Amino acid sequence: MASSPYFSLAVLFLAALLFGLAPLGLAWVWARVFSPRKPNPIKNSIYECGLVSQGDAWVQFRSAYYLYAIIFLIFDVEAVFLLPFAVAFTGLGVAACISMLIFVLMLVEGLAWAWAKGILTWA
Amino acid sequence: MKTVEEIKAAIEAAVPGAGVTVVLNPSPSAQHSLRLEPAHALAVAAFLRDDPELAFDYLSNVTGVDWLDKEIAEKVKVTRQVTKTVDGPEGTKLEQVVDEIVEETRKHVEPGSLEAVYHLYSVALRHGPLVLRMRTVNRTDKVELPSLTPVWRAAELQEREVFDLYGIVFTGHPDLRRILMWDEFKDYPMRKDYVEPDDYEYEPTAHDAVLKRAQEHRSREQGSRD
Amino acid sequence: MVDNELKIELGKQGILVTTIEELYNWGRRSSVWPMQFGLACCAIEMIATTMARYDLARFGAEVFRPSPRQADLMIVSGTVTKKMAPQVVRLYNQMAEPKYVIAMGACAISGGPFKQGYNVLKGIDRYIPVDVHIPGCPPRPEALIQAFMTLQKKIDGQPLTGEGRPRFLDADAQCEFPVPEQGAHDLEPPSNQGVWPVEIQGVGSRERRDIDGRQVSTDH
Repeated sequence: MASSPYFSLAVLFLAALLFGLAPLGLAWVWARVFSPRKPNPIKNSIYECGLVSQGDAWVQFRSAYYLYAIIFLIFDVEAVFLLPFAVAFTGLGVAACISMLIFVLMLVEGLAWAWAKGILTWA
Repeated sequence: MKTVEEIKAAIEAAVPGAGVTVVLNPSPSAQHSLRLEPAHALAVAAFLRDDPELAFDYLSNVTGVDWLDKEIAEKVKVTRQVTKTVDGPEGTKLEQVVDEIVEETRKHVEPGSLEAVYHLYSVALRHGPLVLRMRTVNRTDKVELPSLTPVWRAAELQEREVFDLYGIVFTGHPDLRRILMWDEFKDYPMRKDYVEPDDYEYEPTAHDAVLKRAQEHRSREQGSRD
Repeated sequence: MVDNELKIELGKQGILVTTIEELYNWGRRSSVWPMQFGLACCAIEMIATTMARYDLARFGAEVFRPSPRQADLMIVSGTVTKKMAPQVVRLYNQMAEPKYVIAMGACAISGGPFKQGYNVLKGIDRYIPVDVHIPGCPPRPEALIQAFMTLQKKIDGQPLTGEGRPRFLDADAQCEFPVPEQGAHDLEPPSNQGVWPVEIQGVGSRERRDIDGRQVSTDH
């Protein structure tokens, strides 16, 4: 068995497993032996910044929310493009200005489309 | 800015029967104020805001005053009919009714009230402040005043505070709830007859008032234990 | 048991002698994570303490946790109003053991300048056990660092077994601190009798009891 070429690998694997699990096990044993569990209703209540929590922590979100996220992302990226443009604005020609305007208009068109589709109304 | 008397005249011209009185302030600041009749307060407030010459567009402050019931002792001269024995002719005694002027102290209780005070400025015309006052009928059950929130939106939170601490109920307020104290709280802490909870346990302190209250608490606690 | 002088001598020779207790407490005191919340102006000083100039990170306490489940230390920094007190007590309850409390500033200790206010709790130690009090209005960052060092000394001195072991190692110790109700006139009850001194013995002295009713100290 010792002659198997995978033997050293197996030993290493076991050692790695032990290295990872031993501290966890030790911590668990330590906690079991030394620190008694004392749960109580206040301690186990849902964390709500100190207030008594209203309802359950598991709530459903509308899936339509992802459209908001996408629109936000587009305008976020737009800001990344607009900032260097604004910094170099005085040194730019008319062509750069117009192309930037077209870029912004395209995004605004997307926003107008989303608006027209009623995505921005939360229902 | 117009003087309070001029403003009073303007109000009375615009809102007939408004019943505005001028409350003079004798101190050097001479910040006189106007007391409004609660029934006409909303109309007067709207006039003060919309009149182009006054244009009080900014409400900076709403506060409250608690006026306790006042016992007033007055010395009054009263004519009273007194029977007196007067020496009559030939050594006889005659009883005679005579008018006599007697000084008498009369006491009467002037009912207290809760007062809401509003401070107005005009940002457009850069003048102010104009101080408005309104009084409730008494301190106990008739404590309603009209809310001026419909006229100045800035009054909303401050009227809630006055409601919370003085207990004036503002009718027409969009959201009259306690704002500083918790909802279950029953007292009105800024009223003069508010009794604080007795929680001054003993502790060494250089603060005389605190020390006194702590010692009172301690003697009360010991008294209850014995 | 190696005595202290021998231990120092061995340390000079490059030999480290330690006990489990020492190692355990060293680990605990070197990463006291405070909870991230501030109540009033003292919080500004607390924030200053964590910044580069005072650098609380030197004491292993730079990680302010936004959740009580991950925090070891509650720094009550500022005025506790009666409206806020139940929330503070509930947060303390929600912290995992071992947990410690620093009452920072005059208000957290006794109500401070607002003691006579109708809405101010006259000291947070009425409801939760406080380990270190810092006077001052507000205390300077150095004072907070001093409090940290005091707390570290306290943690260092806690035995793991026997009498005087910390609450979380004691199966019988009470670990629930009732949250006060907001009543019609005041908080109910006005203080937690298990935490706040029960007996008043005489002017200038009071008995302090810990949560198990053991007498901790009598200060004069």
